[in-house]
Amino acid sequence: MRNWSLEQLLPNYIKRFEPYTPSKPDEELIKFYGCSHLYRLNNNENPLGPPPASQEAIRSFSPARAAVYPSGDAYHFRHKLSDKFGKQPEQFLVGNGANEVISFVIKAFCEQGDNIITADKTFAVYEWVAEFSGIDVRIVPLKDYAFDDQGMLDKIDVRTKILFLCNPNNPTGTYWSHEKLRHFLDEIDGRRIVVVDEAYFEFVEAEDYPDGMSLIDEYPNLVVFRTFSKMYGLAGLRIGYLAGGLQLVDAIRHTCIVYSVNGVAQEAALAAVADDDHLLRTRRMVRDGKAFLKKQLSKLNLPFISGEGNFLMVKLPMSDTLVYRKLMKQGVMVRTMTGFRFPNHIRVTISKMEAMEAFIDALAKSVQ
Amino acid sequence: METSHLTEVKLTLQADLIFLPLATSFVEQSARAFGLGEPEALGLTLAAEEIFAYLCRAAAPGSEVQMHCTGRGYYVEQGFLFEVRNFNMRVFNLTASVPTCELAETDETGLLIASRMVDGFRFIQKDKNLHLILTKEKTYPSFFDLPVPEARPLNEFSVRPPDSEELKMFVNLVNEHHLAQTIPMSFNFPGKVVDMVACGDFFVEIAADRAGHIGGGLIWHWDGIRLVEFYGPYLFNQPLESGMAQSLIESCIGAIARTHAVGMINRNPTRELPTEYFDPLGSLTFRQRGGGALDMMAYYRHLEEDPGLLVWAHPSINAFVADEYQRLVFAREIRLVRDQGESTSPWSVISAELDRGSSRVMLHPIWLGNDSEKVLEAYVETLQKEEILNIFFQMDLGRPWHCHFTPALLGCGFKPRLLLPYAGKGDLVIFQHEPGESS
Repeated sequence: MRNWSLEQLLPNYIKRFEPYTPSKPDEELIKFYGCSHLYRLNNNENPLGPPPASQEAIRSFSPARAAVYPSGDAYHFRHKLSDKFGKQPEQFLVGNGANEVISFVIKAFCEQGDNIITADKTFAVYEWVAEFSGIDVRIVPLKDYAFDDQGMLDKIDVRTKILFLCNPNNPTGTYWSHEKLRHFLDEIDGRRIVVVDEAYFEFVEAEDYPDGMSLIDEYPNLVVFRTFSKMYGLAGLRIGYLAGGLQLVDAIRHTCIVYSVNGVAQEAALAAVADDDHLLRTRRMVRDGKAFLKKQLSKLNLPFISGEGNFLMVKLPMSDTLVYRKLMKQGVMVRTMTGFRFPNHIRVTISKMEAMEAFIDALAKSVQ
Repeated sequence: METSHLTEVKLTLQADLIFLPLATSFVEQSARAFGLGEPEALGLTLAAEEIFAYLCRAAAPGSEVQMHCTGRGYYVEQGFLFEVRNFNMRVFNLTASVPTCELAETDETGLLIASRMVDGFRFIQKDKNLHLILTKEKTYPSFFDLPVPEARPLNEFSVRPPDSEELKMFVNLVNEHHLAQTIPMSFNFPGKVVDMVACGDFFVEIAADRAGHIGGGLIWHWDGIRLVEFYGPYLFNQPLESGMAQSLIESCIGAIARTHAVGMINRNPTRELPTEYFDPLGSLTFRQRGGGALDMMAYYRHLEEDPGLLVWAHPSINAFVADEYQRLVFAREIRLVRDQGESTSPWSVISAELDRGSSRVMLHPIWLGNDSEKVLEAYVETLQKEEILNIFFQMDLGRPWHCHFTPALLGCGFKPRLLLPYAGKGDLVIFQHEPGESS
C-alpha cells in the first residue's frame, strides 16, 4: 500500500469540514463526571415521551417484522399527513429525521459554485450539509435575535439557490410573523427556493405565527420541514418530513433516499399525528417550566432569551463550556451555545418541574 | 522534479553524495523563487547541504530522500522525508552532535551547524519515515520606520478583517500602545504580518468606525490542529465600557466555533482581555535576555462540551494532574503508568522546536529509551550554552509512553506548569525547566 494517499483523494471542502461529534451515551458521561443521574436538557427532547397511541404502536410492532423492509417511501404515513393537511400524499417526502431532508433539498438544487443563505446563529445543520456538499454558505447576522429578512435578501446573487429560515429560530425562539414571511416570499417572487424549518411548530402559541403548510399552494418555491423528534417525542426513531408544491417535491424526490425510515418510526409517527391531547399536555408543561425558569433566573440575576419553543437561552457571566462541565458534575446536561456563535450562553430544554428545579439548583452553584 | 502547486516544489533523490550539488541547487533556487533574499537563501542552502550530506553517510544504501521546498509567504520551509529503517535516530538529538573534543569533526556536527543556519528546526515521525523540516524567514523592515496614527475613542465601530494598509497601521498602533510582552515577535515587522495573514497562517480582525479609524483589534493563529492561540484584544485609547474587547473576542469565537478547534488560548494577555470568557489556566515564566523574568498567566477557553477522556500520568505528577482537572472541571479517568522492568530501547530521542527570537524552545518526545535523563540533561546543557533561556517540554497524556519521561524531567529540573486540555492526542502537560533545580 505504498501509494495509498487519503490526502489526495479527499476533496478540499471535505478536508476543511469538521465532523460533528455527538455526545457520548449517558452511562459513559455519568461515569466520567461521577454523577448519579443525568437530566437531559440539551437536545430539546420531550420528557413526556411519545403520545400514548405511538407508544402502543411501538409496543405492538412484532419483532418478526424487523426482517421485512419498511415502506420505502412511508406510504401510509404520507397518506395520513395528506388527510391531516388537506394535500396530496405526493407533496410529502419523509426522511430519517428532518436532518436528512435538509440534505435532499441541497443536493436537489445546488452544485459547486452555488450558495445558500441562512443566519449566523441558528440550527447549524443547513450550514454543515452545504459545506460538506461543497456548496458555499452565506451567513447573515441575526438582527435583534431574529432572522434579518432584508439582510438575507441583500445577500442573494445569481448563484443563490436556497434560503433557509428556522421559524421559530433555534436557539433564540424568535419567529417571523405571518405578514413578514409572506412579504419575504413575495420579495423572492419564486426565483429561489425558500425553506422554512418548522421543527418547533407545535410548541408555538403566538397568534401571528404563520403555518408554512398553509402557504404551500400559493408559493410553489416554498418547502416546509417538520419533525417528530421534538413535540412528538420520537427523536430516538428518527423521522421527519418535508412538504411543498407537487412540482417542487417531484424535483426533490430525485435526491430522496428511499427505505431510510424504519417501520417502527413510520407506525409510531402515523399514530402520533392525530393526538392533540399530547400537544396540549406538552404545551402546558412547557408553559409552566418556562414561567418557573424565568422567575428563578431573574432571582439569580441571569439574563435570558425566551421566545417560542421548548427551550430558552441563559446568558452567563462566564464560559458556557465551563458551566456545562460544572452542571454535568451535578447531573444536569444542557447545550453550550459557543457552537451556535453565542459564547457564554447555554440553551436549556424545558422539562418536568423536577428537572427544572435540579437545573436551577445546579446553575446557582455553578455561577457562584 | 514535479511542481505540486505554485508554492511547493519536490525532488526525490537517492541518498548519495553524487547528488549533493543537485540537492543544494534545488534548495537555493527554490528558496530564491519563493522570495528569500540572498543571505537567507544561502543560509538555508548551507543547512540543507549539511542535512543531505549527513543522510548520505547515515542512511541505508539505495534509500530515497524526498525533498520539498515550500514558499509560505513570509518564510520558506525545506523538508526532508526519509525512511528510518536501519537508521539510528539518536543522532537527531541536537545534543548528540556536540563534539566531545574540540577537534572532533563528527557526522553529527553538521546537524548542529544546520540548526544554527535556520530559524526553525523540527522533525516528525510518520510510521517508518522521519520528516525533517527546516524553516528560514524573509527579512522585513521594522515598525519603527513607519508613522503611527493618533487613536481616539470611537463613537461607533464594527469588527471586520483589515485590508493590508489597515493591517500595517494596526501593527504600528499595537506597538505604540501595548507592552512588548503582550505582542508576538512578528509584530515588529508590519510587512511580515501582512504576509502571514495573506498566506492564511494568521487571522486579524479590527474594530473600526465607518471612516476607517481603528480602535482596536485581535490576532489569532492555529497552534496545532485543535488549539487556536490568540493575542490581544488590543485597544487604542478606547474606554473599557465601549464593549470593543468583548466584540473582538466574540467575533473570533464566532469565526472558529464551527471549525475543528476545541480550545483557544492566550499566553500573553493584555489588560483589556475580558476574562469572563476564559478560565485561568496557570502561568509560565519567561526569562528575558537582559535579566529578569515575567510570569505570564495563560487564559483558556474550551469550545466544546467535554465528553470526558481517559488519560495517562506518571504517579509522580498524579497530584498535579488531578488537582488541575479538579480546578478546571474536566472529567478525566487518570490511569497511572508504572515501570515494571520491561525492556525499552537503549536510546531516547527528543526533538526541539527552537524560537531563537524569543529565546525559547519546546522539546517533544520522539522515542523513549533508557537514557532519557542523560539526553534531557544534555539538551539543557546545550540549550543553555546556546543562550536559550526558556526551555519547555510537552508531554501528551494521551500517549502513555510519553509519561515515562516524567522521572527524567523532574530529575533534570523540569516542573509541570500548565495543563492544556485536548491539545494533543489527549491533554498536554507543559513542563518548564527551572535553572538550578536539577537534582
